[in-house]
Amino acid sequence: MSLLTIETTETPSAPAPASPVAASARNAVKTYRTGNSEVRALDGVTVDFTAGAFTAIMGPSGSGKSTLMHCVAGLDQLTSGSVAVGGVELSDLSEKQLTRLRRDEVGFVFQAFNLIPTLTVEENITLPTALANAKPDVAWLDTVIAAVGLGDRLKHRPDELSGGQRQRVAVARALASQPKVIFADEPTGNLDSRTGAEILNFMRRAVDEMGQTIVMVTHDPIAAAYADRAVFLADGRIVDELHAPTADSVINHMIAMGD
Amino acid sequence: MLKLTLRTVNANKIRLALTTFAVVLGVSFVVSSLVLGDGLRSSFGSLSEEIVGGTDLVIEPSSEFGTPQPLEENLETTVEGIDGVANAVGFVENDNIQPVTADGTPLTTFGPPLIGMSWVDDPALSSFTIVEGRAPASGYEFALDQDAARDNGFEVGSTYGIVTPNGEVDMELVGISRFGESNSTLGAILSQYPMETAQELFNRTGQYDSILVSYESGADPTAVQAAVSSVLPAQTEAIDQAQLLDNAKADFNEGINIFNNILLGFAGVALFVSIFIIANTFAIVLGQRTKELALLRAIGASPKQVRRSTMTEAFIVGVVASGLGILGGLGLNYGLRAMFDALGASLPDSPLILAPRTLIVAVVVGVGVTMVSALGPARKAAKVAPIAAMQDSVDAPKASDLRRNLTGAAVMAAGVLLGAFGLFGQIEGSGARIAILGSGSVLTFVGLAFASPAVAAPVISALGLPVRVLGTAGSLSTQNAGRNPRRTASTAASLMVGLALVTTALVVGESIKQSISETLASEVKADYISAPEVPINPMLLEDLEASGHFDAIAPYRYDQIRIGDDVDGVIGTDLEATDDLFDLGLAAGALTAGSDVVAIHEDEATEHGYVVGDSIPVTFPSGTTESMTVSAIFTSSTIMDESYLINMSDWDSRFGEVVNWWAAVSVADGTSIDVADATLAELAQRYPQAPFENQTDFRETIQGQIDSLLVAINAMLVLAIIIALVGIANTLALSVFERTREIGLLRAVGMSRRQTRRMIRWEAAQVALFGSILGIGLGLIFGWGVVTALPESFVSTLAFPVSRIAILVVVCGLAGLLAAAFPARRASKLDVLDAISHA
Repeated sequence: MSLLTIETTETPSAPAPASPVAASARNAVKTYRTGNSEVRALDGVTVDFTAGAFTAIMGPSGSGKSTLMHCVAGLDQLTSGSVAVGGVELSDLSEKQLTRLRRDEVGFVFQAFNLIPTLTVEENITLPTALANAKPDVAWLDTVIAAVGLGDRLKHRPDELSGGQRQRVAVARALASQPKVIFADEPTGNLDSRTGAEILNFMRRAVDEMGQTIVMVTHDPIAAAYADRAVFLADGRIVDELHAPTADSVINHMIAMGD
Repeated sequence: MLKLTLRTVNANKIRLALTTFAVVLGVSFVVSSLVLGDGLRSSFGSLSEEIVGGTDLVIEPSSEFGTPQPLEENLETTVEGIDGVANAVGFVENDNIQPVTADGTPLTTFGPPLIGMSWVDDPALSSFTIVEGRAPASGYEFALDQDAARDNGFEVGSTYGIVTPNGEVDMELVGISRFGESNSTLGAILSQYPMETAQELFNRTGQYDSILVSYESGADPTAVQAAVSSVLPAQTEAIDQAQLLDNAKADFNEGINIFNNILLGFAGVALFVSIFIIANTFAIVLGQRTKELALLRAIGASPKQVRRSTMTEAFIVGVVASGLGILGGLGLNYGLRAMFDALGASLPDSPLILAPRTLIVAVVVGVGVTMVSALGPARKAAKVAPIAAMQDSVDAPKASDLRRNLTGAAVMAAGVLLGAFGLFGQIEGSGARIAILGSGSVLTFVGLAFASPAVAAPVISALGLPVRVLGTAGSLSTQNAGRNPRRTASTAASLMVGLALVTTALVVGESIKQSISETLASEVKADYISAPEVPINPMLLEDLEASGHFDAIAPYRYDQIRIGDDVDGVIGTDLEATDDLFDLGLAAGALTAGSDVVAIHEDEATEHGYVVGDSIPVTFPSGTTESMTVSAIFTSSTIMDESYLINMSDWDSRFGEVVNWWAAVSVADGTSIDVADATLAELAQRYPQAPFENQTDFRETIQGQIDSLLVAINAMLVLAIIIALVGIANTLALSVFERTREIGLLRAVGMSRRQTRRMIRWEAAQVALFGSILGIGLGLIFGWGVVTALPESFVSTLAFPVSRIAILVVVCGLAGLLAAAFPARRASKLDVLDAISHA
């Protein structure tokens, strides 16, 4: 029984979008209070993340790009507006339902510390399935593991892997539960450029060959160039977007925004 | 550097509170023991003074051993005639005189005596004042102390029964008396009778227990005492006021000191357990601060400064804990009283005395324990390399290292050897033996704590097998419990100590119970036994005999005799009846009636070369020596716990006191058990203080007494277990903090709050189970050692209370779950985003 079916019965539901949308935000506002001043981290963001596409969210530090991702992924709550994953409105979900959403519908890749040190590579990859007390889809798991190329390291522990290998395991874990969308927060931020390129290539293939949806937060134009679309944030608003971005076009955009 | 230390302490108040809690509990216990002891000493001190009152000199019978014969009445007149003596008044008393209430219930107390005494008419010599009515003057009339009278509804002018050694008699209450200034009888019930009545009822006709003497004003005490002493017969002594006070206080103090030392022993256990917890907390906290310490080292702090900073932190924690412990101790003082009340052994009211000595001990102990605990972690902190500041992760705990394990094993071996020497070695004095046993067990505990990380990982993963059924949260909990064996081992060590002691007590208790059952089954032929806390009324025995339903009736009384230079215990009874009632394992001769015969235990007979038929010279407390014939040699020492048995007929003329402490009877042929039961039930109405029980009930009564003792011991040890559980909670809370990011990640990828709580709780349960298994294992070995070392006559079999131990394991596992409640809650409430970005 999926969470999706429960929720759609409760939600009066928006009209179905023309092209399939994996996740979306409508007039998303997020404010923080620090002392007396109010910071608007998100200031009315409306964006759709198309299913089967690789989207990069870009912007300078403090632009709200991580906040947007956290809110869409159900890790953080909006002040107003709405976000949805796979058509399910997140603001209506309880903590328990949010947890199940993260477990079953969403995959995560963080910048660092993605793996549980006491678990083996294999156990880390199947962790969300295990938490759901479900049996892993063995065929899919084999596909993912083969794609990651870590078949000979399944019994190793994270501290026996290199930084790049660890991030590959993290991507594999995100893929393993066949989520509606994978959120990656600066996944190559801690890696050298060659290892970073490996991870990005791998994510690209996940979209192209496995039909996955990936939303990646980054400030690196080279990383953004792997995406199908780049969305630019500044001061909590979407200021621009590029389709089929290249490193050069992204850099030019950033320079233009800086002015 | 001090400023930094202070800031660190200030910034970590909660952590500090958790760390101090263990010390606070330990110090509280020390303080409350001392405060209670001081209070009791003080109230018994003033009681001593009120007992002695204005008496200048007391004449008492004396003997080099055993109970002396009472004084002859005529000595009173002789002493009164001495120059300088103002008055000399005879005095008799008995510790078991029960006034009976209007509704027919004899008064009882839990422990304190019910003292009946002759009324002393001279206010200078009496500690009593009549506050209502008049003093008892002649015939069957009496006075009762004001509290006993008020609490039990006694009214002047009414007639009440009085249960005496010579049966119950009716007397009129003519007066209400007050003892000293405020009638502080410490729970005792005091009644006064006219001299002749008291002498008659207490078996003192023509005799006194003592003579109270007052001096004329201006008389020279030394000269008068010398004059009095010169007229005293042999086996009599005159004791002056100062000596009386000292004697009274010394008697009380001996009891208080034993009580106090037991309490301090438990406090010691609590503090010992605390050491593990504090050391553990410091180690974890410093581990978490490795980067900070490394940064300090990198910018130029010397290892010595880092170490000193840590020790200063420990010092501050110790001072705070001692302060709180002193307050807690004052509170616990009342808690202890409530506990003794609940156990049916009320302590007398006493003032709350906080002596400077108590404060000093509290601070020295509190600060000392904390700083000793911090020594190891501080040394390790000082060794942090500056480079660690730049490294990402330094959390790579070693599973175990050989040197540590070998050291632990060696320390443990030394402890076991010392313990074995303490149990089986030839040691003079119980104090030395206890000290050796204590250090032996401390070394064993420390050694095991050192070496146990080596077994922590395999044991935990074995324990984890059933937990895996609980899914990912379960198997993660096992991995977390096993990931830092050293931490798990030292967290479990505190629980181990508490459980080892509880288990030892349980094994010894169970073995004693089992031994009693076996002895009853194999050596007791008597149908009924009465072993009350008060002496058995001789009238009861006469009534039993008169009923005609019992054929062997034997009371048992105790005193001392001397043979040559050896003073030995002697039991007076009916030897012929004893032969019918018990199987003493006769090696030679027979237990017979008749005078001047003695039965001797085999060991004693062998030592002196006595055989049946020998005549041996026996000296009695009265000083007379008579020749007695060895009539039997017996081998069992379980029931007859003295080496010499003589007939009652030889007793009365030779010993000053006739007190039957217990008795056994058998049902006569032709009388059914039902008739016997009914007869005894009817007698129990008249003599409620000394019920006869059949073997089954008697065994259950004794086993019940052992169980209450075990409850008392274990209630004290529960303190150590509580401290241990606090330690588990503390360690776990710190571990949760340490693993914040990891928990955040688990939550992000879909671990529910419930799964998170379960993961932490099962980790705690596994650590607790690990500790209990070690502790119970050690406790079984300790218990075996103690049982083996105890004399055969006391414990003859080794028995393990399997079900109780099983319950103990389950309770500890559950307690572990409970200890994890707070850390588990904290972990499940972590904000996922904050946790992921936690540095």
